[in-house]
Amino acid sequence: MQGTAIVRHVVTFGRVLREVGIEVGPGRVLDALRSLDAVDLTRQEDVYFALRQTLVSRHDELELFDRAFAAWFMRGPIAPLVRHKHQRDHADRLVQGSLTTGGDAAEPEPGDDPIELGASEHELLREKDFAEMTPEEFERCRVLMTAIARIRPRRASRRRAPDPRGDRIDMRRLVRRSLRTGGDPVEPAWRARKVVPRKLVVLCDVSGSMDAYSRALLLFLHSVVGSGRGVEAFGFGTRLTRLTPDLATRDPEAALARATVTAVDWGSGTRIGSSLAEFNAVYGRRALSRGAVVVIVSDGWERDDPGLLEREMAKLARAAYAVVWVNPLKGNPEYQPLAGGMRCALPFVDRFLPGHNLRSLEELAAVLAGIERRHAA
Amino acid sequence: MYPPAVMFRTIDELEEALRKADYLPDRGLSTALFLSLALEKPLLLEGEAGVGKTEAAKALATALSARLIRLQCYEGLDVSHAVYEWNYPRQLLHIRAAQEGTVSEDELFGPEFLIRRPLLEAIDSDEQVVLLIDEVDRADEEFEAFLLEILSDFQITIPELGTIKARRKPAVVLTSNRTRELHDALKRRALFHWIGHPSLEREVEIVRLRVPGISQRLAEEAAAFVRGLRGLDLAKPPGVAETIDWGQALAALGREEIDAEVVEQTLGSVLKYREDIEAVRDETLVSLIEEARATAKR
Repeated sequence: MQGTAIVRHVVTFGRVLREVGIEVGPGRVLDALRSLDAVDLTRQEDVYFALRQTLVSRHDELELFDRAFAAWFMRGPIAPLVRHKHQRDHADRLVQGSLTTGGDAAEPEPGDDPIELGASEHELLREKDFAEMTPEEFERCRVLMTAIARIRPRRASRRRAPDPRGDRIDMRRLVRRSLRTGGDPVEPAWRARKVVPRKLVVLCDVSGSMDAYSRALLLFLHSVVGSGRGVEAFGFGTRLTRLTPDLATRDPEAALARATVTAVDWGSGTRIGSSLAEFNAVYGRRALSRGAVVVIVSDGWERDDPGLLEREMAKLARAAYAVVWVNPLKGNPEYQPLAGGMRCALPFVDRFLPGHNLRSLEELAAVLAGIERRHAA
Repeated sequence: MYPPAVMFRTIDELEEALRKADYLPDRGLSTALFLSLALEKPLLLEGEAGVGKTEAAKALATALSARLIRLQCYEGLDVSHAVYEWNYPRQLLHIRAAQEGTVSEDELFGPEFLIRRPLLEAIDSDEQVVLLIDEVDRADEEFEAFLLEILSDFQITIPELGTIKARRKPAVVLTSNRTRELHDALKRRALFHWIGHPSLEREVEIVRLRVPGISQRLAEEAAAFVRGLRGLDLAKPPGVAETIDWGQALAALGREEIDAEVVEQTLGSVLKYREDIEAVRDETLVSLIEEARATAKR
């Protein structure tokens, strides 16, 4: 009697967890039941831990779990996670403006396929400032952007694999080969370090002053995140938001919709220093930036004290393999990095690039592919 | 014959045994270790550096009177360092020595040429074993996939020898500092427990247990001061391990209380980054000391 009641309770609780976004498979529910069998059910603390340790496996899900546990087992009120309506509306508008070709956007003419673009037209598109593009031109850019984003910085892994041009002897294969020759290693076998993609962290400014470019750069980010493991993307304005999970889906439109909702700071001022501080404190501590190529996309307009930005840039540069700053304003030949924020950050930047058109994104990709650490003191 | 495994019928019994091993767990951790034994599932411990993840596994081994086998993970860790390796020099010598008849592969890849590494030791053991896989987040994903295989079936296949199955499942503790998220498949195989910083009372208790001769008063002030540091925005907030180190330093200096002078002298055993030490200079330091002393007085 009591047994079936518990089973029902736990199974329903599993469903509650799935609703709040914690992935709970049948295996976990089974483990939860087995664990409740092993602890004293009259001690609420033990029941709590038994369920938590079997049903949750990520630190960032603990809060959700606690909320659900309080609501389900302690009959507390459920505190819903609310998104503000105006944020969603704004995000929807942005996504509509940037991606869908319906509505007021011009219908693409037949023969306007990006591949069939004439060379000169292609060239024009590459040079055109993102801020001046029509939605339809922008659509064409997407295809080109995906190709650019696939290029990733690489590094030598510590793991070795068989390689005829390797630098270490592969003993296991050597012994086997030596069997045939009475113990003489006639035919050597080698192993070499494998080359693997280097970690890439992109921090993208999505504040008001970047509006014209953040559309394009979010698309670029989507392609970059889609290019494989070891890529992390963040958006920032007045504070930092992790975009990786939102950008990891296949469908760029849905991903962009979610990313813009998550980047709650859209359209407000920029606090680069405190956003970087948050990145360093939360993600830097988990060594996300260690050995990574970090790309910051921002115009460098800092609302707050540039001193904070300077200190946080120093921290970031110490942990990272290389820091690249992409500033769309640099596309203007008359631009001078005199704004307080930009000037304070520059000493810690390995490469300073524009990001205002397709050509400059190509340049960024080329830099990422062959980047070398700055040999500064 | 080896003695049968030590069994704990309740969480309280295990907690008592861990205390005897000089480890003071909170209820959550004792529950996690207890369930890991009861369900025979690996336990994944995550938490900030210095909260006692590795110590927990060591204490469990002591409590169980089991042998502790530790595998320290690092990038590039592979089968030959984690599981087994063939003794190549011996194999080559053997081929040479047998110049008369030919040597067969079976002979060459037999048990006497096998070098056993931690994972094979743990699986192929008759004793009770606690297998500590430390800082698994440092190993790469290829190794994680391999680990998954061992932890789901508790068996290891050596192509030349066949499959070796555990006669007695080892208790497995994995630790991670979360430098990256582990693969879901691995997490599904394991129970998960997040170790946070201990409460003030528990930390005082831990310091008194680990630093013999320290006064209650000094232990309280040290723990409260470190707790204050954790509230600041530091690159590396100190863990319990640092509180213990610091307690030892203070006790060695023959202190009964903390003051600005002694804190300045010994801050290096609590904070490990120059920028953190600079961040708590002067007023911050003075107010932290005052708060710590006020907390201890109560």
